Amino acid sequence: MKRQDFIKQLGLLSSGTMLSMGGIQVKALAANPFHVDIEGTDGKILVLLQMQGGNDGLNTIVPIEDAKYYNARTTVNIKKAQALRLKNTVGLHPSMYGFKSLFDANKLSIIQNVGYAQPDRSHFRSTDIWLSGSDSKQQLFEGWVARFLESQNPSYPSSLPNEPMAIQLGSVESMLLQGKFGSLGTVFEDPNLFYQLISGSKVDNDPPPNTVAGEELKFLRQIANASIQYSETIKAKADLGKNTQTYPNTNLGRQLGIVAKLISGGLKTPVYLTTINGFDTHANQLTAHSNLLKQVSEAVTVFQNDIEILGLADKVTLMTFSEFGRRLKENGTSGTDHGTAAPIFVIGKTVKGGIIGSNPNLSDLDSSGDPKFEFDFRQIYSSIIGDHFGHSSELAKDILLKDFNKLPIFKGAESAISSENSISLSQNNPNPVRNFTNINYSTSIRQHLKIFVIDLKGKVIAVLKDEIHAAGSYSLPFSAVDLPEGIYAYSLLAGNGDQKTLRMIVAK
Amino acid sequence: MPIWNIDTAKHLLSRTLFGYTRKDLDYALTFSTLGDFIDNEILKENPIPIAPDAWINEIPIPENATIDGQRYRGFNYWWFDLMLKEKTNMREKMVLFLHNHFTSQRTEVQYPQNMYAQQALFRKYAFGNLRQLTKEITIDPAMLIYLNGNRSKSKNAVPNENYAREVMELFTLGAGNYTENDIKEAAKSFAGWVVNGLEARFDPNRVAIENKTILGKTGNFTYDQTIDILFEQPACAPFICRKIYNQFVTNQPNEIFIGKMAKVLRDNDFNLKPLLSFLLKSEEFYASELIGSKIKSPIELMIGSMKILEFSNPAIKYDDVANSDYAYIYDTSKTLQQQLFEPPNVAGWPGQRDWVSSTTYAYRNGFSDSLINGKRLNGAKIAFKLSALDYSKTFLNSENAIKFIDEVTSLFFPLPLSAYKKKLLLETLLEGTIAENYNTNVPMAELRLQKLYKAMMRLPEFQLN
Repeated sequence: MKRQDFIKQLGLLSSGTMLSMGGIQVKALAANPFHVDIEGTDGKILVLLQMQGGNDGLNTIVPIEDAKYYNARTTVNIKKAQALRLKNTVGLHPSMYGFKSLFDANKLSIIQNVGYAQPDRSHFRSTDIWLSGSDSKQQLFEGWVARFLESQNPSYPSSLPNEPMAIQLGSVESMLLQGKFGSLGTVFEDPNLFYQLISGSKVDNDPPPNTVAGEELKFLRQIANASIQYSETIKAKADLGKNTQTYPNTNLGRQLGIVAKLISGGLKTPVYLTTINGFDTHANQLTAHSNLLKQVSEAVTVFQNDIEILGLADKVTLMTFSEFGRRLKENGTSGTDHGTAAPIFVIGKTVKGGIIGSNPNLSDLDSSGDPKFEFDFRQIYSSIIGDHFGHSSELAKDILLKDFNKLPIFKGAESAISSENSISLSQNNPNPVRNFTNINYSTSIRQHLKIFVIDLKGKVIAVLKDEIHAAGSYSLPFSAVDLPEGIYAYSLLAGNGDQKTLRMIVAK
Repeated sequence: MPIWNIDTAKHLLSRTLFGYTRKDLDYALTFSTLGDFIDNEILKENPIPIAPDAWINEIPIPENATIDGQRYRGFNYWWFDLMLKEKTNMREKMVLFLHNHFTSQRTEVQYPQNMYAQQALFRKYAFGNLRQLTKEITIDPAMLIYLNGNRSKSKNAVPNENYAREVMELFTLGAGNYTENDIKEAAKSFAGWVVNGLEARFDPNRVAIENKTILGKTGNFTYDQTIDILFEQPACAPFICRKIYNQFVTNQPNEIFIGKMAKVLRDNDFNLKPLLSFLLKSEEFYASELIGSKIKSPIELMIGSMKILEFSNPAIKYDDVANSDYAYIYDTSKTLQQQLFEPPNVAGWPGQRDWVSSTTYAYRNGFSDSLINGKRLNGAKIAFKLSALDYSKTFLNSENAIKFIDEVTSLFFPLPLSAYKKKLLLETLLEGTIAENYNTNVPMAELRLQKLYKAMMRLPEFQLN
């Protein structure tokens, strides 16, 4: 639910930005320990960095002790002496010294051999697979991020949230942000220019004709109307925000600088997409690839420093991805052809750091001569949905259409796994509630559970259950007859300390 | 055959050309039938244009980026000018279609000479034989550089498989109609070519003499025999026809009709002209459901806007490319994401909804405004500025506000505009007065008309074709 909607439902506010309720401003909600973020992302932000063209994983995270690597790549290799050593057998590309320092500070998690079954070596198909989160032979038309955002903004598209659901730096909108009803992303290169371009356009609600052209018209209007709605907010937040670091003068550096600025300006948009192109290194790979990795490492390292100094590091994580890695054996033109699995990076203060997974097994290649995948890419998405955005594995399953085991990428990830295995709490129904509502919850093991309701000040106003529960699902009726209208939270606390909290709205 | 009237004429011109002027439309309607116009104008073989400059025959020099950049600009301007002055002939639209099919990116190819030579092939085969074009493209220097066929070796080496993959996936068959092994085998038949300046040479010493098995056939195939094998596949003709349908009709394929197109293409030995003739004379092409269903490409938007506003003779200035009238069009092609010779990747510009994001939509409106204002967004002057009053006076109904809105909107938009939108536009023009009191002598008429044209071109309907 979005702020605009619940304000409307409560009838508390007709206009303006300050919502006052029971003497507490909405802003103060964030300080409440039981605050559940309006957009359902817990204030967390994901920055995606797409490395287009198929990044050569073997020359990024180098198996420096593996003779099979050097035998297959007599020229297109990274020498052991030059690689930045991460572990005894693992070296990092020498141009990524920024990433080396992040790794040493446990702010960089490397996940080895990420791919999927029946790998597709077409750039376009494999990119679609990564963006949509599909199986190799399954065709999905929405991005996985779009499905996630739709789940968090159920009244979209009938109303737009106050701030963009996702931002893409660039010009051509990615499939990642295409949802069932169209585009969920706002795409621009520069906040001020965007604002300047939009001013002067008017929202258009004229009904389109019922033809193919009408469908295209609807699409154009949706884009135009969303731009009109968001250009002012984006400019305002960019004006409020700042950068504490000087970013490298590269396209990627510029993109990440804008992202940091918008976040520091207070924009709540939970997902950003940035891109760097040129990883399709079929010929003369060494220099070009080195230059690209350098750009990635430099821009991301500055971004991470900036975010930390701005005090935002607990919120923000950045993940890299690419449609595939490259073939073990080099080709005859000093390059490498399309391959399959490759390492990816997750960066931030909230990651554990280190390397997940083993070195690629170069004795066990597939029929094309490519290393086999160890982790499905959707395990990383699942970890992000669960351990970064703080959602249940059920939601991750809804979005990724299957269960994918999470990986220990984020700090505290294990306990998150155990808690999800133990308890779950659903949104009360109906919500908003006038008099009566039901709260559904479950536990997968026998344990002590406590369920209680609190008000905005954090005061417990009712304890509904406080006892040992057998494994199973429960439905608890709750009466709000005596409660004044307003926002409440209800919480399920398990004996092992795991807790789930959701928001309940009482409207008379 | 569909009837020939203003509606079918508007549709045919907007899909086969980069927009049209009122004169083009009037001229088209002087032909007695649709078939007559298509055979004698749209698909006419015109003489090959004079090259942009003598540099096209110079041997490329490495590390010559500044000069090459200027030449690319000149080359771009030259092509813009051919589009603007195409009259009622489809060739340049086919050249762009083929550029977007057999893509090459200048950042990889580098030399404008090679890119020019490749485009000359597209122009030569715009209505010609696609199989033959595919063979020539396979050993075209720009393509050899772009997809790494250049210096690919099969003797004592693994041949580069980039071209082999893309020729199957994107140029002839489509994904799912070949195996990874077909790619590896075909790559062997494409090896052995070395680009040397303006030419590509075959070096037999770089090639292993060996049998290859490609799509079930085995032999020591040469590059052209491999292309023959690809064109023999049942997937080939439908794949190409789907792409043509998508480009010229609508992006939701009608597979039954595409099957008919594929038969025409095969029956005519992969010659494009009979296929285009069949398509453009079909009832399907003029289906009312599909009118206005294409989103204009940036090039269609830019050149089409210049045509409709009658900016007919920009100065190219090959020796002073920064100050060319076309410099603004070139810069805008980049911001609108269709820089010629620089598609986003080997699959080319996907088109339709991919053209439009919140940022490019905004830039499109900024562009149309600029042609009315005579200024870029940053205030710098451009070579084009509409004289709104003079232009409006050339319309039959310029002095009758309501009829004028009808007349001008029917020219600017593919579909009739809703009564509500027309009312809004009328209000923009009248600015508080009543329609009866409007004529081109009212105070501030120039400004009012400027506002009207800006408002019209900012409408989402103006983005449709």
